[in-house]
Amino acid sequence: MAMSVFRFARRTWASADLEQIAPVPLPKMATPAVVLSSLVVVALLLFVSIGPLVWGQDPSQQWLSQISAGPSGPHSVRLIRDNGPWQPPVSEPPQSLVVHDANTEFVRLQWPQIEGVRRYRIYRASAHKAGLGLAIAETDKAYYQDQLQLSYQIYRYTIADADSGLLLLAREVRPEAAISLFEAQLQGLVPVGKSGRQAKWLEMPGHPLGTDALGRDILARLMAGGRTSLFVGVVAPLLYISFGCIFGAIAGLAGGWVDQVAMRFVDFVVALPFLLFMILFRVAFGIGPGENGIMPLIVAMLMLSWPGSARLIRGQVLALRGQAFVEAAKLAGVSTSRVILRHMLPNVLPMILVAFSFAIPQAIFTEAFLSFIGMGVSPPTTSWGALCNDGIKTLLSHPRQLLLPALFISVSVLAFNLLGDALRDATDRRAGVAKA
Amino acid sequence: MCFLLLVAGQAWTQAVDADKAKVTLALATEPPTLNSAVATDTIASFILAHLMEGLLVYGPDGELAPGVALRWQLDADGAHFWLRDDARWSDGKPVTAHDFVFAWRHALNPKTASQYAFIFYPIKNAEAVNEGKLAPSELGVRAISDTELKVEFGSPCPYFLSLTAFMTFLPLREDVLAQWGGRYAADADKLTVNGPYLLTKWVHGAHLQLRKNPQYWHSASVRINEIDMPYITADPSSQFNLFRDQQIAMAPLDTGLLNEAVKRGFDIEYFHTGSLYFLEFNFREGRITANRAFRKAVQRLIDPAVLVNKIIGLPGIQPAYSLFPVTVKGLKRSFREEYPVLRVDPDIAAARAYIRKAKAELGISEIPPLMLLAGDSPRALQEAEYYQYLFKNGLGIELRIDQQVFKQRLEKMRRGDFDLVSAAWGPDYDDIMTFADLFASWNDNNRGRYNNALYDRWIRVAQNSNDPRTRFNAMAQIQRIVVDDVPILPTYENGALYVQNPRLRGVRRNIFGGDPLFRYAWIER
Repeated sequence: MAMSVFRFARRTWASADLEQIAPVPLPKMATPAVVLSSLVVVALLLFVSIGPLVWGQDPSQQWLSQISAGPSGPHSVRLIRDNGPWQPPVSEPPQSLVVHDANTEFVRLQWPQIEGVRRYRIYRASAHKAGLGLAIAETDKAYYQDQLQLSYQIYRYTIADADSGLLLLAREVRPEAAISLFEAQLQGLVPVGKSGRQAKWLEMPGHPLGTDALGRDILARLMAGGRTSLFVGVVAPLLYISFGCIFGAIAGLAGGWVDQVAMRFVDFVVALPFLLFMILFRVAFGIGPGENGIMPLIVAMLMLSWPGSARLIRGQVLALRGQAFVEAAKLAGVSTSRVILRHMLPNVLPMILVAFSFAIPQAIFTEAFLSFIGMGVSPPTTSWGALCNDGIKTLLSHPRQLLLPALFISVSVLAFNLLGDALRDATDRRAGVAKA
Repeated sequence: MCFLLLVAGQAWTQAVDADKAKVTLALATEPPTLNSAVATDTIASFILAHLMEGLLVYGPDGELAPGVALRWQLDADGAHFWLRDDARWSDGKPVTAHDFVFAWRHALNPKTASQYAFIFYPIKNAEAVNEGKLAPSELGVRAISDTELKVEFGSPCPYFLSLTAFMTFLPLREDVLAQWGGRYAADADKLTVNGPYLLTKWVHGAHLQLRKNPQYWHSASVRINEIDMPYITADPSSQFNLFRDQQIAMAPLDTGLLNEAVKRGFDIEYFHTGSLYFLEFNFREGRITANRAFRKAVQRLIDPAVLVNKIIGLPGIQPAYSLFPVTVKGLKRSFREEYPVLRVDPDIAAARAYIRKAKAELGISEIPPLMLLAGDSPRALQEAEYYQYLFKNGLGIELRIDQQVFKQRLEKMRRGDFDLVSAAWGPDYDDIMTFADLFASWNDNNRGRYNNALYDRWIRVAQNSNDPRTRFNAMAQIQRIVVDDVPILPTYENGALYVQNPRLRGVRRNIFGGDPLFRYAWIER
């Protein structure tokens, strides 16, 4: 069979083939993940920047009358003047368990003296729960004033014989919302020192997410904490990625022994333990106890976290240096600065952006972790990590106090990570080819 | 399924085992040492109360009862003890008066460096021996025979009997101590005991086990055969989980665990630990806190009742207004019932007036930021943050919180590196003096260096008197000075909340002499 003379001729591409390959489709930037994560990031930034202005509550204000309270709206409370020791009025002893006064500052109970009972034990329980509840006190008198962390709910008090455990009397009590004069003065709701005509009722602000174990508004604290967390999360990576890029670029461009020395120094820094140095920096900076640890935290991250980005950029610069278009530019006599500006930077910039967006969640997490173990911010400043640390003590009884800041950390870390992923996909052309 | 049931069944019997008369517990930490001469902590005190027996012991109702001493006589100038002749060490040798003489001399030896040496000071020459000025043999304690011990006092000590139940007063064997030297009581096999229990196992950091001591003279009265402590954890949540799973028979409760325990229907018990928590001021040169008007302002600002009811919120913890907790004994009843303390009401207007006065006296226009030294427990931090807020809103003063672990805090207190410190004091012996002389100018534990000639004078009056009425009148003066001059601001009297297996009965919660005490406990079937 005769062979075609065109056997070795190059195959001509059909236009249909060309259409399949030639235009490498750029991944779309506006994927749902990117849009969603950017929206979340913007929402978080607005939450911590504009939020405190809108909400207007002081994150360190302790509402003593609303310790660990659930979500509540604005309400009015009665001003209580006397809450010292109490004795029932000397009159006929009551026939049953009577309530002399019931508000969230004190509940005053009196009951008839029962023969044969030496000591009474007083139990308090939430009215809609079964069981006796908590034994709050034992007394040998036939009255008692309960002041122990009362909240606005219906209680059931049970009086029992402390020796035999026999239940004697029980009664449900609904305390009225109240605030003591001392606290009202402390919070500035009532002028100090002026006695006489004072309002009987006071308006209290609401707490849509409730209050923590010291009566502080959780929403305000989440905003204030987010400020610290996001500040560290953005500023620290900005600093150390910039430094790493410059360092890596110099090493990559210079090459030779400069590169060797620089890279060995990078290896050395990688080997330094972060936590240990963080503690050392705190001491070295003379950060006394009770002062903020944010600056040493940022400095420690700057000094110890840059090698990753330095390595990345140095590798990229080395690769670019050997590329034909860079060599061509050099041969054409283009100055070094112009080569860097025109050819290197545009090729490196996407990587820097990606590294930055991945560094942010890492920094947020580092800050949270350090504050959680007590190495970060100190009160009254707070951060999401410090809020978690506060909340873990009341995890069993008030899980909200831990879960809310933990949720914010998770959401922000996830959002920044998704954003980083999307950015990487968008800028990585090889990945685009593989997908096509 | 079978396997699962088996495991569950086993777990059920582990907390208390009536057949074997065995109790399982968790320890908060390992005792640093079990050498009674140098031990200072409550864990060692708890273990030693089971391993050893002093001249006197605390009985089932918390009263002083005969221990190694069969009978005794206490005079103004000394004490005389007659020892039982059937008391035995765990190796069978008799417990003699010489063992006590040796132990006390050993504890006072400057080389031993016992932190509790001062507790011997009422004994004649004790202070001089401890400072190395006199030979240990000069100490005012003598073994007349194997079963007779005579103690001479340097100053009157009406509370000496309760001292003899304290762990530093426990006997020691000279030959055993010589055999092991510095490693004495560092392991289970390196000590000899004379109490109701033997230390049969000590895996460091993991496991301690006590078994009934057959050599103990009254071992027939000991009803629990074995106390097993296979868990060492300071975390109350872990201990609570172990209790919930029926792995241990007792567990302490913390704020966060209280509601959980109530929800599960456990019986919550509490007892007054006898210890006082307070804010101590620094009186060293140049400290703002040395100014009386400033301290009065703090006194009018911080209301112990608010702290206890709102911030701490645990039943059993009481607000403190006096240097002396309600557990301190008076003439016949509680000292506080006989000599009620003046309660200072909180008043922000008065507090601000005092601050203005303090500023004028000190000649400053602003009070600089002050340092509050606090412990590292969650409760201590919460308390500190509350003070921080009170100072800021009430007085316009910035308070910085210096949170330190226990050892570091003690060191900073010793150096005087604080303005205010939240401190605590647990009584060492059953007498009012254990609290009163704390702020005498010569006491090492007076960390703020409070120096008040009047205070010192009343302490001297009480120390040099054997008459209870004179002593308690002097103490009433001390109580008045503490309210009036505010060397410290009492905040609360601590109570411990705990849950206990209902079948375990007769466990004694003690202020003195080891807590909890299983010596008189039993298990109900």
